[in-house]
Amino acid sequence: MAEKLLEIKNLKQYFNIGKANEVRAVDDISFDIYKGETLGLVGESGCGKSTTGRSIIRLYDATDGDVFYEGENVHGKKSKQDLKKFNRKMQMIFQDPYASLNQRMKVMDIIAEGIDIHGLAKNSTERKKMVYDLLETVGLNKEHANRYPHEFSGGQRQRLGIARALAVDPDFIIADEPISALDVSIQAQVVNLLKELQQEKGLTFLFIAHDLSMVKYISDRIGVMYFGKLVELAPAEELYNNPLHPYTQSLLSAIPLPDPNYERNRIRKSYDPAIHKYTEADDVRMREISPGHFVQCSEREFESIKSASVSK
Amino acid sequence: MEKILQVKNLELSFNTQGGEVKAIRGVNFDLNKGETLAIVGESGSGKSVTTKSIMRLLPESSAEFKNGEILFGGRDLTKLSDKEMQKIRGKEISMIFQDPMTSLNPTMPIGRQLTEPLLKHQKISKNEAKKVAIDLLRMVGMPKPELRMKQYPHQFSGGQRQRIVIAISLACNPKILIADEPTTALDVTIQAQILELMKDLQKKIDTSIIFITHDLGVVANVADRVAVMYGGKIVEIGTVDEIFYNPQHPYTWGLLSSMPSLDTEDAKLYAIPGTPPDLLDPPKGDAFALRSEYALKIDMEQNPPFFKVSDTHSAATWLLHPDAPQVEPPLTVIERMKKFPGSRYYEGGAV
Repeated sequence: MAEKLLEIKNLKQYFNIGKANEVRAVDDISFDIYKGETLGLVGESGCGKSTTGRSIIRLYDATDGDVFYEGENVHGKKSKQDLKKFNRKMQMIFQDPYASLNQRMKVMDIIAEGIDIHGLAKNSTERKKMVYDLLETVGLNKEHANRYPHEFSGGQRQRLGIARALAVDPDFIIADEPISALDVSIQAQVVNLLKELQQEKGLTFLFIAHDLSMVKYISDRIGVMYFGKLVELAPAEELYNNPLHPYTQSLLSAIPLPDPNYERNRIRKSYDPAIHKYTEADDVRMREISPGHFVQCSEREFESIKSASVSK
Repeated sequence: MEKILQVKNLELSFNTQGGEVKAIRGVNFDLNKGETLAIVGESGSGKSVTTKSIMRLLPESSAEFKNGEILFGGRDLTKLSDKEMQKIRGKEISMIFQDPMTSLNPTMPIGRQLTEPLLKHQKISKNEAKKVAIDLLRMVGMPKPELRMKQYPHQFSGGQRQRIVIAISLACNPKILIADEPTTALDVTIQAQILELMKDLQKKIDTSIIFITHDLGVVANVADRVAVMYGGKIVEIGTVDEIFYNPQHPYTWGLLSSMPSLDTEDAKLYAIPGTPPDLLDPPKGDAFALRSEYALKIDMEQNPPFFKVSDTHSAATWLLHPDAPQVEPPLTVIERMKKFPGSRYYEGGAV
């Protein structure tokens, strides 16, 4: 197995702790992210996939649990200098291209903000050139540098967000629904771009999305989240061919495919958490069914899945 | 088939500081009663502008009808006064927007938002309107509708909000429902529910739907017919099977190839190179020619007319001209054509 870049251990992120409306957005999840891979994280809105991303990059202070980046704990006390160093390694592309760009800044300054903070450009000509290059990398052109965000479409804004994340030359990028706002033809361009960048620069991605066909295409491994828990984690191919958790099965059955014939005959499965019939005595946790394929299940379910896969 | 709406040679421009943006450059289509017509295309292709011009929702200070007509019930919508248009909007033609967060009023309980179109367009009392509103909520699958009438939009989830928006848009039994990316902001499972709901309701009240989306999976699911737009024009129009299994325009080929199917292997995803044309200064010939590997010489000079493929299917590409050379579509498209009787790659079997 490749080297671990990130280790997420028993991460918990609760909001409104101790109040009646306590929300367990992320409830005790653990996984690793290997160097150079793309880990896809899928699930419905509110399942905690974005919160997971945000807790990893320390936009939230985790309620409990640890995140290790190359063996170093991300959470916990840090000097300003340490944080700055760390922020350069880890960047984020946000979900909402309308809210994530400062409306009062020109594109030039939005993208160059990271470059300025980390002092990556020697002079203003170099700064300009870096921004122009970044704009071209994401499929825009240099004339766009002097405009304001409101002059761009949603798709173009998202590309600005990607350019901004790439500006500081990070190792690890958390991409939170980076392509949901883009057109099909542009989605493919951006996904190819992300893949190219990954190969060129050895980037590691945490790719959060609900477009499952794109996630499958870009990811090496995929984690499925449901109500703050990770319910299944497996190599991309394996997850699609052999989904074991009923929620994963329901999610896969909901994807519309560009094939009218398939669509006419598609049968959607719905998921009812009650079917597990968990009791308090059940030890429900992630168990490894086959190498690299983890499913959240009880001991009893584990046995039945095991015997079912043997009989196949 | 009864034609409920006819868009004829529509041309519309925006007057901006930079000059005249020719957003729609001659769009023709009919909408039949009870059908779902999907309009697909990239941002800036003119799909939203087309539908907004049907609703007359574009700012009159900058948007200008240059040519053409939109015929609905014997009247040309481009020529109606604002007052007349208000009687149609929300009553005969209504619209669902992409973002259920911003299309509801956050300071008004949803009950009042539901009864608003009823009180405006139908002569009924407040109490009756309330009853209808509760029925509407029940119809779109909202549990405990009586209680939820008093709640505000923030107390609902995204999917529920979209259900409310749908309920509002259907309040007056419109003849046409325009849905502009209604499920783009939703999760797949919720999307599946909303699409099923829309199809169900369509059967019940026999509305025609214009469905705008860029998700071809959704198109395959909901559409009876599909219009593909590019650079302010429709470049191909046909039944859903014709567009998905026997596409003729290189842009349609590009769109279909750039979506990964669940069995796309690791190979590089096909991406249409370049960016959409600048409609401030639209290209002289085929707007897609500059991004197309199939472009012919004539594409640079003359705009292709529509060539008929079948009674229901036509495409604007010079490749269909009898003198044009025969070209091989991309592999993924050939795979699709193998399933279509009548295409030259057909391999037998039924679709």
